[in-house]
Amino acid sequence: MGDGSGSNRSNSNKPEWLQQYDLIGKIGEGTYGLVFLARIKSQTNRGKSIAIKKFKQSKDGDGVSPTAIREIMLLREITHENVVKLVNVHINHTDMSLYLAFDYAEHDLYEIIRHHRDKVNQPINQYTVKSLLWQLLNGLNYLHSNWIIHRDLKPSNILVMGEGEEHGFVKIADFGLARIYQAPLKPLSDNGVVVTIWYRAPELLLGAKHYTSAVDMWAVGCIFAELLTLKPLFQGAEVKATPNPFQLDQLDKIFKVLGHPTLEKWPSLANLPHWQQDTQHIQGHKYENANLYSVVHLSPKSPAYDLLSKMLEYDPRKRITAVQALEHEYFKIEPQPGRNALVPCQPGETFVNYPTRPVDTTTDFEGTTSMQPSQPVSSGAAVSGSMAGGHVSNRSVPRPMNVGGMQRIPHQTMQAYNVTSQAGISGGMNPGGIPMQRGVPQQQLRRKDQMSMPGYPPQQKSRRI
Amino acid sequence: MGRSGGDTFFSLSSLMCEEGETGFFEDRDDNPCIIDSLDNPCFVLEDEEKYIEYLFKQEMGFGSQNHNFFAADDNSNRHWLRSARVDAIDWIFNTQAKIGFKVETAYLSVTYFDRFLSKRSIDESKPWAVQLLSVACLSLAAKMEEQNVPVLSEYPMEEYRFENKVIKNMELMILSTLEWKMGSATPFSYLHYFVGKFCPGSRPQAIITKAIEHIVAMVKDVNLMDQRPSIIASAAILAAFDIRLTRKTMNLRISVISSWGNLESEHVFLCYNLIQEMRKSKVKTPCSNLLSTQTSSTCVIENQSDTSLGAKRKLSFEDSENCGEHKLHRLKAVENGELVLFDLMYLCCIWVGPLIKLVKAKRDYAFAWDAGGSFSEGLGNFPLTVTGCTMI
Repeated sequence: MGDGSGSNRSNSNKPEWLQQYDLIGKIGEGTYGLVFLARIKSQTNRGKSIAIKKFKQSKDGDGVSPTAIREIMLLREITHENVVKLVNVHINHTDMSLYLAFDYAEHDLYEIIRHHRDKVNQPINQYTVKSLLWQLLNGLNYLHSNWIIHRDLKPSNILVMGEGEEHGFVKIADFGLARIYQAPLKPLSDNGVVVTIWYRAPELLLGAKHYTSAVDMWAVGCIFAELLTLKPLFQGAEVKATPNPFQLDQLDKIFKVLGHPTLEKWPSLANLPHWQQDTQHIQGHKYENANLYSVVHLSPKSPAYDLLSKMLEYDPRKRITAVQALEHEYFKIEPQPGRNALVPCQPGETFVNYPTRPVDTTTDFEGTTSMQPSQPVSSGAAVSGSMAGGHVSNRSVPRPMNVGGMQRIPHQTMQAYNVTSQAGISGGMNPGGIPMQRGVPQQQLRRKDQMSMPGYPPQQKSRRI
Repeated sequence: MGRSGGDTFFSLSSLMCEEGETGFFEDRDDNPCIIDSLDNPCFVLEDEEKYIEYLFKQEMGFGSQNHNFFAADDNSNRHWLRSARVDAIDWIFNTQAKIGFKVETAYLSVTYFDRFLSKRSIDESKPWAVQLLSVACLSLAAKMEEQNVPVLSEYPMEEYRFENKVIKNMELMILSTLEWKMGSATPFSYLHYFVGKFCPGSRPQAIITKAIEHIVAMVKDVNLMDQRPSIIASAAILAAFDIRLTRKTMNLRISVISSWGNLESEHVFLCYNLIQEMRKSKVKTPCSNLLSTQTSSTCVIENQSDTSLGAKRKLSFEDSENCGEHKLHRLKAVENGELVLFDLMYLCCIWVGPLIKLVKAKRDYAFAWDAGGSFSEGLGNFPLTVTGCTMI
């Protein structure tokens, strides 16, 4: 059976399930597979865009990958307008590979933030920020009330629907690391630590073994701040080691902004392993007072600041929950959040036409056509093809081969594509792969390879070195 | 073997000690009051109530109503399958102990096993399919529960050796048959909660350890599709706490679970009695007989034999090689050399030991898993055919 490295290069006879789709092309790669854009052929829903996530073949001896089982198990149980919708599970029997078909989402927060920072050069409007945040919390509240912790929230995993019935709806994606809370006291930090380091809650950074949904709320706080400033709030340099190394720099970044945590404010701090062990750096260092409001340019008295600071509460027990956050005053004042986060209801508000995802039309479902043999896929795959997108991901701790790491479409391969297809950006209506862009300048083609975002510190790219 | 045999068969007590200390309850042992301790900075007590409420709700959706375990089969196949199940459970728990999995992992794999067989049957002529099902169920449960999952080839096979891809295919078949609902609650999820509710003031760890023994001992006699995990858990906790409960005194204890009514009380009592019976028979007789337990309660498999309806399909396994010839009697040699004769119909258990090894002449069969085409999950339309198997 194929082990993912191309034992199935000849793909002449399409499996039956595949025949119900028109394959448009590859839109992403992640730790555990490839993501393709396809369209439904059948009468009902003809032309509807579907993202098909192909799980990388696990090693022959491993059987079905636990990640795949968890993701499918969870996604099958949940239905919510702010959670990505699993449409179908296909099993390709010849090589026993798994394919998940999802409703396709054109955008993700990573791309939206980047577009504003690098192209539009202006902040995301308040209505959009608030609507995105509200919907994110709404989806998260649903997950948490079903005892599911996402554990890997980051901008690239928060999708936003493109034009259509659900235009501007937020969809939480990528449940590969999500877990159901089990016996309440059971440690959840299995399979190494999760949550991309920049969005990782301080209790995890300090080595907590038991944790809850509060880790997701911390990530939401970080994402909220990033939506406001277009910059990741805490950009620590990741220590690469296994397993679960102490991420001093990340904590340092947090403490610099939020001030030194104290036992008065966070009593259980004393019990966290890294706090106990690392007295020199952590306990000994004196940090300035908190200056979060100046970092995010908010008045300390504004409801937005109040909400943000409650999400970034050190003590996970005191951290605001999703349901509480949804009730926060911030969402009650103008502009009120709306269902289409991208297009404000009030005319006259500016709204941004976000670029569509690049599609690599030269890669077939086997994903082998253009993959460079030594090139590992890296973290972050989401349904949308949204990738880790420049965010340091720690889920694959022992992944030394992350060379040149993959983004949605890797730089090298992208150039190759440009030759063949002039970069098939097919915004969703271009089955033939004819070059077509909704007013997207040529550079857009290389969105993901421009990982070195201007103004970003060099360690940004660290995981790709 | 059923009752007492079940216990000695995989040396339950030694197994419990090991697991009890290092696995599931690792923190509680050191610190019985962990709920209030700072070791657990994130979990608050109210969460447990909500979590249990959620589990109760989830349970309702599972099994119980539409089980037809073995029911659609003819009598002889039902008998065969029942004893095959007992063997499978032995293998699962033995393997769990050998590999060092948690007890819950083994238990969870038995729930997969039972759920699978409530939807599909395995024919008497395919004894290897039961073994294959056991391996794949345990492997899947390990993937859900364990931090370190062994590669498929590390699972010790007894009679048959399966290629990795065959096991993987079986995993897919199970996932699909169970509609990917792999997160079934087990009684283990409730133990901590019930011990606090039913036995306030007592030391929880001792009760929980005992309750786990009861739960594991019951596995062979109870079709896990028949009883909700919470019922089994509460009966086990109560039995571990006090062996002289009457219906009345028991009701008093379980009345703290406000959402429970008469039905639950009845079921808990039946399970409680089953545990008592098993406990007594273990003291009295070294041998057990599965059939004798049949009428004792609804917990027992036999009870639901007539709910045979069904959309049950037989596996479309086609073994052209004749693997079935080994089905009637199997000689099992126990490590110390004593022999156990298994008659698959009636299971006379003569001697059992903690580790069972099968000694068998090596026989090789060509094994091929013809897996052409594809299937849509959920439809249960598996074109899996087995054309042979390897015997060790």
